[in-house]
Amino acid sequence: MRAGRSLTPVVSYAVRACLPARRWTGLLVVFGACVAFGLLAHVPDTGRDAAFARVASAGLFGLVLPLGTLVIGDGVLGADIRRGTFVYSWLSPVSMTTLTVGRWLGGSGTAVATMAPAFALSALVAGSPNAAAPAALGAAIGAVAYVALFVAIGAATRRSTLVALLWVFLFERLLGTALTGIAQLSPTWESRAVFTGLADVPADLVRRGIPEGWSAVGRLGIITVVALAVATWRLGRLRLTGPAD
Amino acid sequence: MGGTVTSPTGLSADPALASSPTIEVNALSVWFGPKVALSEVTCSFGPGITGLLGPNGAGKTTLMRVMVGLLPTGAGTVRVTGKNPRSDRSTHRRLALVPEDEAVPDALTARELVRYVARLHGVTERDRPDEALGSVGLTDAADRRLRGFSKGMRQRAKVAAALVSDPQVLVLDEPLNGTDPIQRAALIDLFRRLGAEGRTVVASSHVLHEVEAMASRVIVLVHGRIAAAGDHRAIRDAMADRPRRVLVRAGRPRELAAALVGLDAVAGLSVDGDQLTVGTSRARDLAVALPRLARSVDSRLLEVRPLDDSLESMFRELVR
Repeated sequence: MRAGRSLTPVVSYAVRACLPARRWTGLLVVFGACVAFGLLAHVPDTGRDAAFARVASAGLFGLVLPLGTLVIGDGVLGADIRRGTFVYSWLSPVSMTTLTVGRWLGGSGTAVATMAPAFALSALVAGSPNAAAPAALGAAIGAVAYVALFVAIGAATRRSTLVALLWVFLFERLLGTALTGIAQLSPTWESRAVFTGLADVPADLVRRGIPEGWSAVGRLGIITVVALAVATWRLGRLRLTGPAD
Repeated sequence: MGGTVTSPTGLSADPALASSPTIEVNALSVWFGPKVALSEVTCSFGPGITGLLGPNGAGKTTLMRVMVGLLPTGAGTVRVTGKNPRSDRSTHRRLALVPEDEAVPDALTARELVRYVARLHGVTERDRPDEALGSVGLTDAADRRLRGFSKGMRQRAKVAAALVSDPQVLVLDEPLNGTDPIQRAALIDLFRRLGAEGRTVVASSHVLHEVEAMASRVIVLVHGRIAAAGDHRAIRDAMADRPRRVLVRAGRPRELAAALVGLDAVAGLSVDGDQLTVGTSRARDLAVALPRLARSVDSRLLEVRPLDDSLESMFRELVR
């Protein structure tokens, strides 16, 4: 079967069946959080752009992006496997690559459509319109990488939500803050580096030792491809046990 | 374990093996950590319906999931139409499973689920999803979300999803779970038709009398091993040396009981009104002697029937 023909239903299924039933509520939460962080940028006495850069670095890229994409990324595969409904996709002649890429595309599309406008809105609310495009781009590329990462985690373990949270808060936040080598593998740090590399931000927000700007986009692309390769490999080795096993 | 086998008509010498197999399971073992789920299982399935029976934890679901590739083999091989269902994705073009668990994508309607499966299988006929839904009586509920479906309706939606790809091999794990008697009869009829069309249908169930009505051939799994295979009545006959009970209703029951006590084939006897419950380990000998003895004491036989000629009793014998 041609991959293109079977990709469409997989993407459509990922959006229709896998994402939370109340995803519109979740979308509102993301937008609400972004607006709140945008308003928070009015508090410091520093200039609007600098204030938003600080709020975006810590709050938007450090919190909203990983948690928002975790809900979507886990939903498109990990939750489907845990529920036992992934068998309807697995038991088909469609290749594992198509299944992986289709789930990732469905999740990424939803994540980008949610995150990018929300991050841009946050910049506008903060009174830093010049930062809107870099923030949206960082959010979009970061969301794409994060969804790939969470799809890979979903294929690797049934405890994908817990492992994903450990990845975000232990690996990225704790170890990534201390070790540059870890930060280079982190969608949080690299998407933040897309923003800090393309927007006008205070010098102390620029993290040395990791790719910045468009180079960070390339790095996130590599993370995405590697994560999808791992997910495809793991899906082929999945043990889909039943309740009686 | 007895390993009791029989050789019903149309099967090869080993009744666990089908004469023209579509699914071949060879020396299959599966472990879950330290637990052995299947141990050196060798069997095959060909066109027609085969019942897969056994008590809870016997390994039926594991065997079925390995047969469709959802689980890897620990040792041994599984081939479906000559291909490995675990590694060769093309096997799934004509292979379908109705899983035991109730899980269905709740956010979809029944029609959306069936269409999704159809599109994954490259089904081009636009009417196929509607036909599949119609075959399980879900046409009217096709546009309702699965989250609002009863257990029986979910079961039928899963069957429709399995049928939409027109599978040559259909593996049904407890397919009648949650269905009401009318739905069960309709599904049994559907599965019979599929088997009669030359498809390979493997069905497991705990509702044994339904499997007796449905399956032309039975494989019994106990503790992860094949305990018996063949026609379920033939299996019972081969177990003739095992104790079984026969109910005899007759006139002059006490006189008939006195005559039966002297018979070697009788291992135990109780009388309750006009009913005798006769324990025997040689049912054929009892069947031959009973009319003669009844005549000799001028007793009229009103009813003779085995009390434990069901698959439930067979399980009890096999696992003892």
